[in-house]
Amino acid sequence: MPRNRQIAILLPDTLQAVGLECILNEYFSPLTVSRFTNYPDFTQKSAEMADFYFTNANYFLLHIDFFLPRRAKTIVLMQHTMDALPLSGAMNLIAEEAPLETLIEQIESFLSLADANSHSENNKGLSVREVNVLRLVVSGYTNKEIADQLSISLNTVLTHRKNITAKLGIKTVSGLTFYAIMNGYISGTDMSLDP
Amino acid sequence: MSLIHSNMLMSEVVEAHTSLIPVLNRLGIRLGLKDKSIRQVCEEHQLDVDFLLVIINTFLNEEYFPEKRLKAFHLSQIIDYLNKTNHYYLRYQIPNIARHLELFIAQDGSANKTLALIGRFFQSFKERLMAQIEKDEREWFPYCLALGRQWATAVFMEDEECLGDVEADEENAEALLADLKSIMIKHLSGEYNENLCYAVLFAISSLEKDMKQHNRIRYRIVQPMIRQMERFNLKK
Repeated sequence: MPRNRQIAILLPDTLQAVGLECILNEYFSPLTVSRFTNYPDFTQKSAEMADFYFTNANYFLLHIDFFLPRRAKTIVLMQHTMDALPLSGAMNLIAEEAPLETLIEQIESFLSLADANSHSENNKGLSVREVNVLRLVVSGYTNKEIADQLSISLNTVLTHRKNITAKLGIKTVSGLTFYAIMNGYISGTDMSLDP
Repeated sequence: MSLIHSNMLMSEVVEAHTSLIPVLNRLGIRLGLKDKSIRQVCEEHQLDVDFLLVIINTFLNEEYFPEKRLKAFHLSQIIDYLNKTNHYYLRYQIPNIARHLELFIAQDGSANKTLALIGRFFQSFKERLMAQIEKDEREWFPYCLALGRQWATAVFMEDEECLGDVEADEENAEALLADLKSIMIKHLSGEYNENLCYAVLFAISSLEKDMKQHNRIRYRIVQPMIRQMERFNLKK
């Protein structure tokens, strides 16, 4: 079964954000919603990993570098849909004052449309490179040493580690060791699970 | 979820939220609650009713965390609760997971090697948590309490070293427990007893939730209080 869809809400107005969260949970479960009132919190909690974004026009424009490449996965709440943003043709807009049923209908078509585009991303197995990184991580190598061994940059190592954790749902080295032994990536006899 | 208040019957609250039982037990409140209100139960056990309400409301509601009110309680009161919580983990919650896990492994462990690995993983979690608790008791709690006493009498040691923040490192017990749960849910394979597996996961989840709440108090209440006292100390 695929993991829950991750929704990130970036709105300054708590009431509005909670209201939106309620609608999402009531009509579009299962999904995981995180709410943020400001951009720094939003980026800190690695919200860039979310599948869908809800924000308002102001934040969209302020952080256009972030949202523009993700516009297909972003819904922008507008006070009056008439005050169109630049580029509004390419964006998903919903009107804050629209009746509830319209909102639900719009969100539904947005979620299902974007879903259809992202099916290929659901491959959860580790790539060969990720398995190599995993082997070295659980053998006690530091990120720097892994980068040297595999002749890749430190940043690439960090990205691989992030992806491994996301795919397996395991964060700690002990947990990854367990996974590696279980799947025969390393031998269990010469490895201890203790960190 | 609506908040619990002092006029409610303790028995009704527990009926609606059985997950509170471990929290109440560590405070000395046991079942057989009759028709007593929360206030009455607190009076009987000489507990601060406001403190108890904040503890159970924050336990039940992730969104409810009144930092100002929590910081207004006496530091020793909060440390006392954290200490009782640690002891409860050691005496009941960890042995409870271990008991179910032993059965779970014993049943199919000879044919299914994954189960033994899970047992080893639990063991490393347990050692980690016990080490953390031991450090709390040896260093951190006494340091916090000493600082609190100086604060109260305004006698400050000048060369007091700052023990400061307890590191929330990546391999802490909470992270290991989350991984243990995730491993069982996502990566379990082979023959195993479903019912025992559920019992293990249920016990893990309840400890996980408890630790999350415990750490929230630790990192967001006690640590800022300590930091503030230390800063004041340094200024003197």
